[in-house]
Amino acid sequence: MRIGLEIHVQLPTASKMFCSCPTTDADAPNTHVCPTCLGMPGSRPVMNRKALEYGIMLAKMLNCEIAETTWFSRKTYFYPDMSRSVQITQYDNPVGSRGTYMFQGKKPVRITRIHLEEDPGKTKRVGDQSSLVDYNRSGIPLAEIVTEPDLSTPTEAREFLKQLIADIRHTIDLPGDGERSIRCDCNISVGTERCEVKNVTGLRNVERALTFEAVRQTKVLRAGGKIERETRRFDEERGVTISVRKKEFEADYGYIDEPDLGIFHIGELARSVSIKESPAEAAARLSREYGIERKLADQIISTSTGLAAAFEHIAKATDAQTAASWTAGAVSAYWKTFETLKKGPEGIADIIRRFRGGEMTDVEADIELRAYMTGTDVRAIKDAGADLSQIVNGYLDAHPEIVGEIRKNEKAVNRVIGHVMKETGGKYSSADIVAAAKSALEARL
Amino acid sequence: MKDVLASLPALNERYSMFSCIASGADTEEPKFLFSAKDNLTSKDMETKCGSRILEGYRPAFDAAAVEKMRQYGGRLIGKNNMDGFGFGTFSTNSAFGVPKNPFDLERSCGGSSGGSACAAAVIEDHVSLGVSTGGSICCPASFCGVYGIAPTYGRVSRYGLIDYGNSLDKIGLLSSDPAALAEFLPVISGKDPRDPTSCAQPPLDLKGKRIGSVAVPEEALKGISKDVLSAFESSLDILRSMGVEVKRVSMPSLKYAMPAYYILATSEASTNLARYVGMRYGRQDGDLSLGFDDYFTSFRSEYFGDEAKRRILLGTYTRMAGFRDRYYAKALKVRLHVISSYKKVFEDHDAVLTPTMPFAAPKFEDISKMTPVESYSADFLTVPANLAGIPHLSVPCGYDEDGMPIGMQLAAAHWAEGPLLTFAEEWGSAFDVRRPEVPL
Repeated sequence: MRIGLEIHVQLPTASKMFCSCPTTDADAPNTHVCPTCLGMPGSRPVMNRKALEYGIMLAKMLNCEIAETTWFSRKTYFYPDMSRSVQITQYDNPVGSRGTYMFQGKKPVRITRIHLEEDPGKTKRVGDQSSLVDYNRSGIPLAEIVTEPDLSTPTEAREFLKQLIADIRHTIDLPGDGERSIRCDCNISVGTERCEVKNVTGLRNVERALTFEAVRQTKVLRAGGKIERETRRFDEERGVTISVRKKEFEADYGYIDEPDLGIFHIGELARSVSIKESPAEAAARLSREYGIERKLADQIISTSTGLAAAFEHIAKATDAQTAASWTAGAVSAYWKTFETLKKGPEGIADIIRRFRGGEMTDVEADIELRAYMTGTDVRAIKDAGADLSQIVNGYLDAHPEIVGEIRKNEKAVNRVIGHVMKETGGKYSSADIVAAAKSALEARL
Repeated sequence: MKDVLASLPALNERYSMFSCIASGADTEEPKFLFSAKDNLTSKDMETKCGSRILEGYRPAFDAAAVEKMRQYGGRLIGKNNMDGFGFGTFSTNSAFGVPKNPFDLERSCGGSSGGSACAAAVIEDHVSLGVSTGGSICCPASFCGVYGIAPTYGRVSRYGLIDYGNSLDKIGLLSSDPAALAEFLPVISGKDPRDPTSCAQPPLDLKGKRIGSVAVPEEALKGISKDVLSAFESSLDILRSMGVEVKRVSMPSLKYAMPAYYILATSEASTNLARYVGMRYGRQDGDLSLGFDDYFTSFRSEYFGDEAKRRILLGTYTRMAGFRDRYYAKALKVRLHVISSYKKVFEDHDAVLTPTMPFAAPKFEDISKMTPVESYSADFLTVPANLAGIPHLSVPCGYDEDGMPIGMQLAAAHWAEGPLLTFAEEWGSAFDVRRPEVPL
């Protein structure tokens, strides 16, 4: 089975691709429009350079060859929400081509090309007889990423897309609701001929659409039938794909150059634009450079890139193993609060370095870390901890069998948590209780 | 000026040079009056581009050239009648009456900026904005006996121009007074961020050198009417007496300009005209019970003129998959070739001189007998300079036995409008230009 994807990403520019209309959500239909995005006669497009820059950043992220010069083309087709009946897109010389994107650190997926284009407006059906058109979306910049058919299963396609979207978001600072603004065309062939399922939204739907197609094509082939090259669409409610048109009825878009925009010499810009390390790359590098498990690296990265940076600081101040266990433990536990304080990770690394140097015990280090990372006083934590450790110790004294159980199976600490929670009415967090139990156990050694 | 304004309805009755006339009077006396071809948008007047499909279109903005003329103190008195979307050589493809030649009402005033040339010839002290894609300024200037300049591609912002062929369209001026061209070209020129293709231009230099030598390509003198040829030959004598060196040259690449031009112009035009589907602006009174495809088709069938349909078909064909490389992509290469052959001539000469049109203004009855290819061929002298995007000027240079004007055309290097404008004024004092009789 061969699967290739065409991924459309709305680029987070402040204004549209060829006019100064805002790209933010509008209160009412057809309010973020002007003569240019409505295609009024006499209007003309002016390039939003920021869109080009985002295109270059994504091309770099995908390890594409970036063109020295790039230009735009006109793709002609008739549809009510396409205000000029011409979409400005890229045909010859797209921003990037021939890239490779590493999937899960081990499988290279070839990227055919990445090009820029404008989004059309939206058509909304109203009853059986009429439709309404909203041009607020008309002219929003899109990047289209086309992969080679290098993916092997619908699940792999979903996982691939998940990783890619995370990387795209990170590279161009796409806002959190970015998944909504990502659409996908899925090409799949079980035999030799492929079908394209157009305009699928959401990871789950990509997998569903592809799974349906895979089964459908397999059935057709098993029954001795032939797969015809065609465009299909996905019915989200019923979970099925439906034929839209056969290949011979595919539109001829009659591409010509867009004369109004001219040619863009982007070589210099491309060399000056630097991109942040993508999450997938960062995880692969952490795992490789520090010899930590890939799963842990993924966890660290998916929590936040700041946590990854803290990990690297700690590793440099101590060693990779120490850094890994502290980052997975206390540092992650306090990370959310820590991020709001906007402090540097150097303080964290320093505390753990002192622990590593034998200046304090792990419990003391934990208290120090907690104070530093949550912006509280060390004494207050210690006082609270004293009460807590009394309760914990009292419980362990009363139930000595639990000490042995916990040593065999860490999960047994849940009984301590349960007891303390009940006793104190949820005054202490489970993390605190676990820490108190841990230090109590160590004291009993 | 009040007299002019008052006489406009009667003038238009006679000549049909406007598709829309300004109504009401300004409180302030304007510095000058001007008119604009109806493919330039105007906030205060309907802009129909010579086509029924745009009836009722009231643009939300002024074209850059119109805006600049107004800022300079001008008053827009009307929108000049034209071939629909600029498709034509005789202005006979207008949906709103055909403008008449001021020297003979039975004859064409040329096209596609026919109304602009007619207004320039008929109205005293008038300047009009025209647009040239393949010769639409020089052709009517020649037929109406006025001066016309199409500047370098990119010299005048195309913001607000209703596109024909975006890589070829140039906004220029027509007037019976050569000094008006020199006065108003700087007004409408200049970089405009709303049209990126205008932003690469060097400043307009009007104090530049005069034209000292012209090259006359021998290819341009074949297939020319006797009257035109003899007027042209006598003009060469005047030129020599003005101290201009005249040299015969050969420019064999000129013959490739016509097919390349029609391929590029129609390819672009067919995509530009795709937006006219009876939605959003212009006529929108189609049958809404139809599906959108049928609605679009019925609308376009009903309201596009025959010539627009012909060019849409031609231009769609030349960019189809499988034909694109053979026609469209090849025409792009031919354009570069034509540009380089002009550049070569400009190494030794200041301008390329030819007659503007191969004949004087024809009668409407003769035009109606022409095949499309015959009328396209009439542009063979204006097309090469337009394809190359170089500035070109038409000046009146003689009259035939019927008293119809004949024009000659000078094409100069990219951005060298200065020498052309200097020449126009020099020529104006060396040659006696006749004005048509206007019985009003």
